[in-house]
Amino acid sequence: MGEKEASKERIAGKLYYFSRVSALLSVVLMLFPGINPARICGYINKNMSLFTSGIAYSELVSECQRAFTKGWLQESSFRLLFASCLIICIGIVLTGICACMSLGNVKMKKAGNIFGITGGALELIGLIGIVISYCQVAATSKPEKVLPCFQGAGYGIFLVLALTGLTVAIVNQLLLRKITVEEKMEMDSKYKLFLMFLPFLAAAFVFSYLPLWGWRYAFFDYTSGSTLSMDKFVGFKWFTILFQNEATRQDIVRVLRNTLAMSGLGIATSWVAMAFAIFLSEIKCGPVRRFVQTFTTIPNFISWVLVYALALAIFSSDGFISSIMMQMGVWETGENLLMNPEHTWLKMLFWGMWKGVGWSAIIYIAGISGIDQQLYEAATVDGAGRFQKIWHVTVPGLIPTYMVLLLMSVAGILSNGMEQYLVFKNPINANAITVLDLYVYELGIGSGAIPLSTVVGMVKSLVSVALLFMANGISKLIRGESII
Amino acid sequence: MTEKAIEKKKKNKYHKAKHFRRSTGDIIFDVINYTFYIAFTLTCIFPFYYLFINTISDNELVRKGQINFLPVGLNINNYLSLLQAKEVGQAFLVSAGRTLLGTALMVMASAFVGYLVTKQQMWHRKLWYRFLIITMYFNAGLIPWYLNMSMLGLTNTFWAYIIPGIVAPYNIILVKTYIESIPSELEESALIDGASTLVIFWKLIWPLSKPILATIAIFGAVGHWNSFQDSLILMQGAPSLYTLQHRLYLYLNQASNLAAMMNSGTSALSEVLQSSMLNTKVIKYTISMVSIIPILMVYPFMQKYFEKGIMMGAVKG
Repeated sequence: MGEKEASKERIAGKLYYFSRVSALLSVVLMLFPGINPARICGYINKNMSLFTSGIAYSELVSECQRAFTKGWLQESSFRLLFASCLIICIGIVLTGICACMSLGNVKMKKAGNIFGITGGALELIGLIGIVISYCQVAATSKPEKVLPCFQGAGYGIFLVLALTGLTVAIVNQLLLRKITVEEKMEMDSKYKLFLMFLPFLAAAFVFSYLPLWGWRYAFFDYTSGSTLSMDKFVGFKWFTILFQNEATRQDIVRVLRNTLAMSGLGIATSWVAMAFAIFLSEIKCGPVRRFVQTFTTIPNFISWVLVYALALAIFSSDGFISSIMMQMGVWETGENLLMNPEHTWLKMLFWGMWKGVGWSAIIYIAGISGIDQQLYEAATVDGAGRFQKIWHVTVPGLIPTYMVLLLMSVAGILSNGMEQYLVFKNPINANAITVLDLYVYELGIGSGAIPLSTVVGMVKSLVSVALLFMANGISKLIRGESII
Repeated sequence: MTEKAIEKKKKNKYHKAKHFRRSTGDIIFDVINYTFYIAFTLTCIFPFYYLFINTISDNELVRKGQINFLPVGLNINNYLSLLQAKEVGQAFLVSAGRTLLGTALMVMASAFVGYLVTKQQMWHRKLWYRFLIITMYFNAGLIPWYLNMSMLGLTNTFWAYIIPGIVAPYNIILVKTYIESIPSELEESALIDGASTLVIFWKLIWPLSKPILATIAIFGAVGHWNSFQDSLILMQGAPSLYTLQHRLYLYLNQASNLAAMMNSGTSALSEVLQSSMLNTKVIKYTISMVSIIPILMVYPFMQKYFEKGIMMGAVKG
């Protein structure tokens, strides 16, 4: 008897793998617009996923208003469609709960199966609802406008997933032994902890891993608003265009030069923060030191837009410098110094430093206070002067920190962000200020060249990851410690 | 006091003075050093001050560029009339809302996840932790991110500001490292008393890790308040959801376009624009101030968390 029960439980445990996988797939796939079974006519946005269709009725019917007023479509069939999608979403959630509860003891599994059966049944009802609303839509008087279509593949996938979940739940409900009333629901703490972690993992997946799925746009001929289909597959066309098209190539070369120049200047001057900290600690008057530290850190906490606002207030044609110069009679009219095409790279470096140097110095200030005072005393005894102490005690004490930060900034050489350059950009300095991140933004969002900008972003991401690993390898080699 | 004692004290004083007497080189160095730092600090303060005095002075003088060092004709009318401007008020509410809600959720999630990942007995703990942390080191790129957000139906919704920021790997590492430094006996004794994971988290871990939670809250809030890129890219179809920074950016650009037109335009046009300039200048200064003031208000509280904050880059997973 006991053995038979045990073998049944083993079978049930194996079957649960199917329901867990199908639940996971349902949750993920309902986020993909490509296989949305609810897209039953041309009026439904191609970027709507099953999940969106089930939670936002206004988006579902956003393009249908004209069809409703003309009488081509009945609003009731869309209400039915929305209700069906909502029911499917609820069903998928319930199957998910069933899959989670299957990690518990028998009592919990049996309770979970109830969810599984209900969820599976709801999904089937919803899928039937979609068919009914499709039939209603297909009976329209204007098929050439409404374009009824049935998403066979998506529908099939969800049907199979629903049936899998439902079957496993029913079979397992029968397989598992009867439970007594006194038994309590229990779950191993390792699974409990995992399930508590799961929602956050899901969020990380959706917002950090799922975008990788967007890399496929790099291989298709895609314009915003259309769908991806295999006949638009163009292979590495966009990659070759990047190098063969004269205009694009020139753009890329220019943008790369700007990116590397500005990052390079940043890296070449990264010691300034360390020097700032060292000489600041030479100020022995406490209040002055605190005053300097407090107010040089503030710019780090305002956004680049605000830095630009301050820059305008000081340097624009109606700003501080212009009005002073005009009052002194040096200039006749105000001059917008930000519209000056010269030395753009250096100016950007200056703004970066103005904003960041006080803040970057803090880590070195903390480092200096961590240096053993006895080293200074010993140096004094040996007759070292102020600068000798700085050079032979303080600097060596800070070099390890500096090296880590330097390696990190080398790894991030391609990513200088776009906000600073976007706000300071104007028609006059555009050529010298466009960095890679800004270029991707302008190409993709501004000009709508989605595949090409995806290619650029993709290559950038891959190179950045490679650089990070290289920097890490170097760090391991010379310091014996990794930085990531 | 005896004669001798006074003598001795004098001598001591002399010795001390001699010990600390500085060479001319030292004095020159100090003068240069102090001058440099004070000058640099003033360049950090002055733009804020300049902006501020221009928002509280007489608008006519501001237009003529006569408010340079001291405010004249003090009034706060600009702020009052700005509050009535619908666009700005809306943007302020959006920014404030995302800062409060986004930060609260992020802190709670970071605290909870940071605690969970310290639990050795979790199923495949290391794997899942790495799964989470790896996301710090790569990203798919701007366009795939944007397409993903629109696929999820988050574009043009307020939630696009909140949800993606809830799981913040950096902050999770910080909290985890901090919780690991809490003596494990505390948790063990709570376990013996029969407390569940959630109870231990809420009653023990949460209060004990308040210092680190305050740190991430403050840095998270500043990040939310300053955030501009997500508004720019994700809210293209919903101007009512623009953040304050985005609004400010638009106003600044309008003003500089006007300036560019004036420099190249005809005199008749310049005349017209000159009078509208008054408004744009004051408006952009005042909105800038409105965006800066909240930062300046929390700034004093932030300072004690600086060191923890900057160490963010130095901690490892």
